[in-house]
Amino acid sequence: MTFHVEPSSSVPISRQIAEQIRAQCASGQLNPGDRLPSVRVLAHELAVNQNTILRVYERLTAEALLERRHGDGTYVCDRLPAGRLRVQRDYIRQELRRQIDQARMAGMTEEDLHKTIAEAFTEEQV
Amino acid sequence: MSDIIIELRDLTKQFGNAHILRGVDLAIPRGSVVGLLGTNGSGKTTLIKCMLGLLRRNTGQSLLFGQDSWSLSPDIKARIGYVPQVISFFPWIRVRDLIRYTASFYPKWNDDLCQRMIRDWDIPADQRISTLSVGQVQKTAILLAVGHDPDLLILDEPAAALDPIARRQFLQLLIDLAAPGRRTVLFSTHLTTDLERVADRVAVLKTGQVAWFGLLDDLKEQTHLNLEDSFLEMHHA
Repeated sequence: MTFHVEPSSSVPISRQIAEQIRAQCASGQLNPGDRLPSVRVLAHELAVNQNTILRVYERLTAEALLERRHGDGTYVCDRLPAGRLRVQRDYIRQELRRQIDQARMAGMTEEDLHKTIAEAFTEEQV
Repeated sequence: MSDIIIELRDLTKQFGNAHILRGVDLAIPRGSVVGLLGTNGSGKTTLIKCMLGLLRRNTGQSLLFGQDSWSLSPDIKARIGYVPQVISFFPWIRVRDLIRYTASFYPKWNDDLCQRMIRDWDIPADQRISTLSVGQVQKTAILLAVGHDPDLLILDEPAAALDPIARRQFLQLLIDLAAPGRRTVLFSTHLTTDLERVADRVAVLKTGQVAWFGLLDDLKEQTHLNLEDSFLEMHHA
């Protein structure tokens, strides 16, 4: 698994990493029982603060996406298959929200967006 | 033991008629890595010197590990590492001897860490200080500040003279040193990109006061701006 961090983005680093882990769980790049790098190793690799990584792991543990096994490390939750759909839906909803924000800033209305989504679906089918 | 490592309350400092610090409040918890951000002349160095007891404050309170900054005990001093903005070493001393000399002041010294830094950072240990580049002197100063495994590390513009490669190495060293919950780090900078990687908290100094202090992630969640834009906005507010 590889993660990428853009420190000068307006998106907090912890959110960037959390979203990538969520996305990898949703897409199947990360699977139940997979072990994540230790806080120390990932922090060093990405050159970001260890507390930031710790917070990401804590947050995703609270969401039951990750599981911290005492003295052993952090793993993708074993019970993930049941929750995977929810994880995927949450992830897609988040992505959509971001797109909606962008569309709003570009001056698009809800109707415009619905039309655009419908068009995208049709293009897909062609 | 308190979990607030640095505690400043209404701290003021003036030089003649110049009011540099106008009531600084700050409480830094153990294990945090704080970036102190401010424009040139905003009082970052003065604040650091006051909290270390190198300058005497005019009014207010300043505590390190719960002790008054102006009268720190040797035990507390041995737990602090400091890299000043302006570094002055004896020009004739060899780096290796300078390390030995500095180590002799401390009850414990981490030789392994020093050897590793000399190797990783290409510090010319057998050369005299006068033959070193600005960047090499800065690397040496950082080594000397962390050699005794301090619980609190304070760095004044630490990466200013480092090239991009040494800078990344330095940031990684800071990240490794700042293991969660143990060591507390405060560093001043005017470079927001360094801060965004390494710090989990940011304190913005503006006209002698702390204009903002908190988690960097919270700042971004609140403002939807990156740090540089937030900083500029605070400054024009």
